[in-house]
Amino acid sequence: MAVIEVQGLTKAYGDTLANDHLEFSIESGEIFGYLGPNGAGKSTTIRQLMGFQSPTEGTATMFGHDVRNDRALRQAKARIGFLPGEPGFTPSVTGRELLDYQAELKGDERRAELLDLFTPPLDRPVREYSTGNEQMLGIVQAFMHDPDLLIMDEPTSGLDPLKQETFHEFLRAERDRGTTVFFSSHILGEVRRVCDRVGIIRDGRLITVEQVDELLARGGKQVRLHAEAPLTESDLDIEGIVEFETEGREARFTFTGDYNDLFAALANRRIVDVEIDEPPIEEVFMHFYGGED
Amino acid sequence: MLPTTRYDARRRVRGTLAFAVLLAAFALLIIYLFPTIAESSADIDAFIESLPESFREGFGAETYTTIEGFVAAELYQTVWVLLLGLYMAYAGGGLLAGDIESGHLYLVLAAPISRKRVAFEKFLALGLPIIVLNVTMPLVVFGGTVAIDYPLDPYYLLVVHLLSIPYLLVCSGIGMALSTVLDRGDAAQRSALALVFLLFLLDSVTLGTDVEWLGAVSPTRYLDPTEILLHETIDLVDPLLLLLVAIVLVLVSLVYFQHRDL
Repeated sequence: MAVIEVQGLTKAYGDTLANDHLEFSIESGEIFGYLGPNGAGKSTTIRQLMGFQSPTEGTATMFGHDVRNDRALRQAKARIGFLPGEPGFTPSVTGRELLDYQAELKGDERRAELLDLFTPPLDRPVREYSTGNEQMLGIVQAFMHDPDLLIMDEPTSGLDPLKQETFHEFLRAERDRGTTVFFSSHILGEVRRVCDRVGIIRDGRLITVEQVDELLARGGKQVRLHAEAPLTESDLDIEGIVEFETEGREARFTFTGDYNDLFAALANRRIVDVEIDEPPIEEVFMHFYGGED
Repeated sequence: MLPTTRYDARRRVRGTLAFAVLLAAFALLIIYLFPTIAESSADIDAFIESLPESFREGFGAETYTTIEGFVAAELYQTVWVLLLGLYMAYAGGGLLAGDIESGHLYLVLAAPISRKRVAFEKFLALGLPIIVLNVTMPLVVFGGTVAIDYPLDPYYLLVVHLLSIPYLLVCSGIGMALSTVLDRGDAAQRSALALVFLLFLLDSVTLGTDVEWLGAVSPTRYLDPTEILLHETIDLVDPLLLLLVAIVLVLVSLVYFQHRDL
């Protein structure tokens, strides 16, 4: 049975549809990335799943419990760890007081283990915390009762790259012991590194749900070539070149084809500099899911 | 037991103690002034008699020549009823709206605990200032009046405090109701302050006029320290009515909070 089952979930704020008939499910033991630009409706979905807001239409279940039924949802919540987008810690409390309070609400059998990995300064009041420290405190409280499902809104925002890597590694280890993870992100690279599947949402609509490998193959890479002599699109007569642009001796395009073909086509060119990078998430949307609809 | 109440109450300790010290200092100052006024040759009671009725009634000023009348008017009718009422309304206004705004409630409600329970436990945490202030104040006031050799009857002093609890619960309930309806913490707190103050004014200015009934919507009408301290009459109907209103306010807030979007 799916851990999360989203069925026609719709949320309207006045005339705006923040979530428009969403339909997807998340299986036990997978890491599911919920990807979309800021304002796409990711947090709205999460708030409905957690029962903070009621759907205008449709519903969702978690562990089979309907999110519209508070009593049923509470049973599911005992098995869920949650990290909100901006954890609103009371500024005057210390990290330790906050964890003690959360422990009373839901348990903390893994607290010590987590504090070895993530190290917020527990004896200082939260108001003195950096964003990274706040995020680490949030991560510890989300995992400390050893939940079966994690729901996280932008979990790595504010973490320094080293801690991000620790977190990703930790997530993968959790997945391997059977934990299901649902997290939102607006960073394609992050989703690429840790997720098994990804759902892409834009303007409240689910554009696609697919395996990360497939998405990446479709999303391609952004290539910048600095050649000694200006390149034209006809110089590179190969499959998979989209949105070719030049500026002086620099060419820029999105590449979804085979690298060997690309390098073969460039073999007799003098290349000064080359950069191959993740495309920004907006570009992925623009190229592959239609820009202006 | 009651983790949210304890968590919230701990946040209130410092403010409550500061308020208790402030009130105690003010009470002692008022009491210290009493002998000078009681023994002065000026006819203060005649002056009070010459004030407009709404003013006299609003501030419960009947006589300044007995310690009961003086303390009732200068301390209880104004500082206690008005200031503490405002304080509790403000505290009630801060119960939920601020935590909704900051997202703190998301962290709490992600745990397997119902919204109603969280909100009720938060309301219970307001018991800390109510209890602490109702314990320290009578001690300070009684001690002060003993020290100046005009001792108040401790029984009626305790009754004033006991019967002001339903009133303080109503003020807290007004704050809580606004805190569940409004989305911004400071908006809920300020409107609770404004509402309780307007009700107090409404009660005061309508007294002795043709529209006296208008002031009946104000909780301040149902608590009269002068009546208890000076006239030694105890009316239980009004406090029970206040208690009932407080319960209704809290219940309505809980039900509304259970169903609203956060």
